[in-house]
Amino acid sequence: MTFKRLTRAALLLCAAFSTTAFAHNPMCECKEIPGEQIQCKGGFSDGSGAPGVTLDVIGYDETILVPGKLGEDSTLTFKKPAAEFYVLFDAGPGHVVEIDQADIQAQ
Amino acid sequence: MSKVATVPPSPLRAFWLKWRFHINILLLLVPLGFMPKYFADAALFRGDTGIGERVAGQVQVGPWSLTLAELRNEGPRPDPAGPMKLFNAALCDTCTNQVKATYLRIGKPRSLRAAGVIFFGTPYRMGAALPVPERTPVDAEVWVTMEGWDGSMHQGSIPLSQASPATIAWLNKQGVKP
Amino acid sequence: MSKKSRSKLWFLVHSWLALPIWFFVLIVCVTGTLAVVSQEIVWLANPDIRASKPSDDAQPLSFGQVIAAIKRDEPQAIVQSISRPDESHFALSVDLSYPDGRSVEVYANPYTGAIQGISPSFNFQQFTRALHGWWLVPFTNGYSWGWYLVSLLGLPLLASLVTGLVVYKRFWKGFFKPTLRFRHGARIFWGDFHRLSGIWSIWFIAVISITGIWFLIQAILGDNQISISSEPVVPVIAREKVPTSGPGVPAPMIALDDAIKIASQRIPGLEASFLVLPFNAYSHLQIGGRGWYPLMFQTAQLNPYDGEIAVTNLLSDRTALEFVTESMRPLHTGDFGGLWIKLIWAFFGLVLSMMVLSGLLIWTKRTALATLNALKREAKTQRQPAPIPAMQAETSEAQR
Repeated sequence: MTFKRLTRAALLLCAAFSTTAFAHNPMCECKEIPGEQIQCKGGFSDGSGAPGVTLDVIGYDETILVPGKLGEDSTLTFKKPAAEFYVLFDAGPGHVVEIDQADIQAQ
Repeated sequence: MSKVATVPPSPLRAFWLKWRFHINILLLLVPLGFMPKYFADAALFRGDTGIGERVAGQVQVGPWSLTLAELRNEGPRPDPAGPMKLFNAALCDTCTNQVKATYLRIGKPRSLRAAGVIFFGTPYRMGAALPVPERTPVDAEVWVTMEGWDGSMHQGSIPLSQASPATIAWLNKQGVKP
Repeated sequence: MSKKSRSKLWFLVHSWLALPIWFFVLIVCVTGTLAVVSQEIVWLANPDIRASKPSDDAQPLSFGQVIAAIKRDEPQAIVQSISRPDESHFALSVDLSYPDGRSVEVYANPYTGAIQGISPSFNFQQFTRALHGWWLVPFTNGYSWGWYLVSLLGLPLLASLVTGLVVYKRFWKGFFKPTLRFRHGARIFWGDFHRLSGIWSIWFIAVISITGIWFLIQAILGDNQISISSEPVVPVIAREKVPTSGPGVPAPMIALDDAIKIASQRIPGLEASFLVLPFNAYSHLQIGGRGWYPLMFQTAQLNPYDGEIAVTNLLSDRTALEFVTESMRPLHTGDFGGLWIKLIWAFFGLVLSMMVLSGLLIWTKRTALATLNALKREAKTQRQPAPIPAMQAETSEAQR
């Protein structure tokens, strides 16, 4: 939940608003695509994309298997690791989305 | 004119013609009805009624602690990023200068990076929108992670059922999702 | 369709536009008018919000000095944001967080930094805005349905402007020969009033209806997660850019006045009129103000530890589309150029309210008469159940 892009006017207005309605909650979805690959797409809840934002593939032992950054289209494709892993979309402290391998839908 | 008068009006049309100006009354009842809610919300956001509608209790986090409260005593609200539950919190009196950041997550975090959502606000009143996946088990724990200015990290937890009974009710209503 | 019957149709459309909901439209117009000058009304009612000079040669303090003064007076309270209203007769608005969990707006004297008062729990300004803007319907999931209800009125408002001008043939003549007949009865007077105020408010009705329709579009875009913003999303400062320090010792931040200096150097012409302090250790310091274009704000987000500018949202960063869309709100509210513009907006808001009222009076005077006649005639001919007098009156009126 960030209030960063609110202008002063909106900030005044928002005092009585639901705080989530205008927030930038991070969002990320991953799916398996042909060729043993996984494609993840990141963004924010207001509809903004997330080009250049960090997305790491991390093993259950906390070693970073694939360090990555989302491309201009806010996606990143990587080869499915052999070891157990989770995906961490990391837009900064407290702005992360974690996706466990079990939650990545197969083709 | 005479032509119009000879056509018998349909009941629906007659109903509309008879009652259409009463829409005004209905429309005026809307803000009147919402007024108590508006003022209750204004007081809630000002903090006149405390840090939230329902104080869940103290959570001990290593040497520190915080008071956790539900902003509203209700289940998660829909959001494009999935259902979100708003929590408010206040740090203990002695730890305001100690704690650099506070995070909230359902389930024990794997690392500081994945500690969950960060609290925004002052040590006296801060808030976080916690994502609640629809298949969260009802016996889940809400984990609080605190980071000190020296880089130290402490963790503590509170059962979700204690943090937000309304969220448990919401989960039960959702049923088990595959 | 003949020219004559087409204009009849236009007339019918025009007279029906606001009718079933006329009182709703009237209240929205009246509350909107109040909202425009709500800050001034509070100024009149509450001395705490006035910026009184302690002496004739007193100079306004910098934001840093004001915050230092507040810290001295209220050592426990934490400043969350501070803003200098457009008009210099208003006190500074400061959001303070108190140890008891309250987060309230207080009014600080711009010359001394003294807290003159805490905003009352009934916030007239916010209340009129909420009533006008979303009919007090709470925001639970995206925009409130009250927001849609009110902003939808932009459509009939624009339509009544267009149809009104079509019906009022050669309306531009009214500018040269203003007529307002007092001695020919109420019906004639209100008719003249409606037309006269109508032509002088063409620009205002156009502005209010188009910006109102924008609020509708804004809600539709927001609720469908469609962003047209060109500003990059940088929600927080990266972990490695926030220094660690000793236990219990928060990392020192740069002085606020220095931060403002940095932002002013980067943004030529920036008049820093508000400051949003970091929301947490990983949050930026936001500095903003107007530039050469009075309808939009420019902001810079700084790393509060080293003064590095992370994100700017300058006029030059905006797309042409954003210039249009971001101008909509100030054009609607009239809060972009001080007291006089607000007073002009409030005046025309009042005129618009009167137009709704006069339109209704004309309609009832005509319709009441026509209805009475119609009923009399019907009573003579036959006893027909459930007549439709109003609609008949309307049609007969149009055929007049």
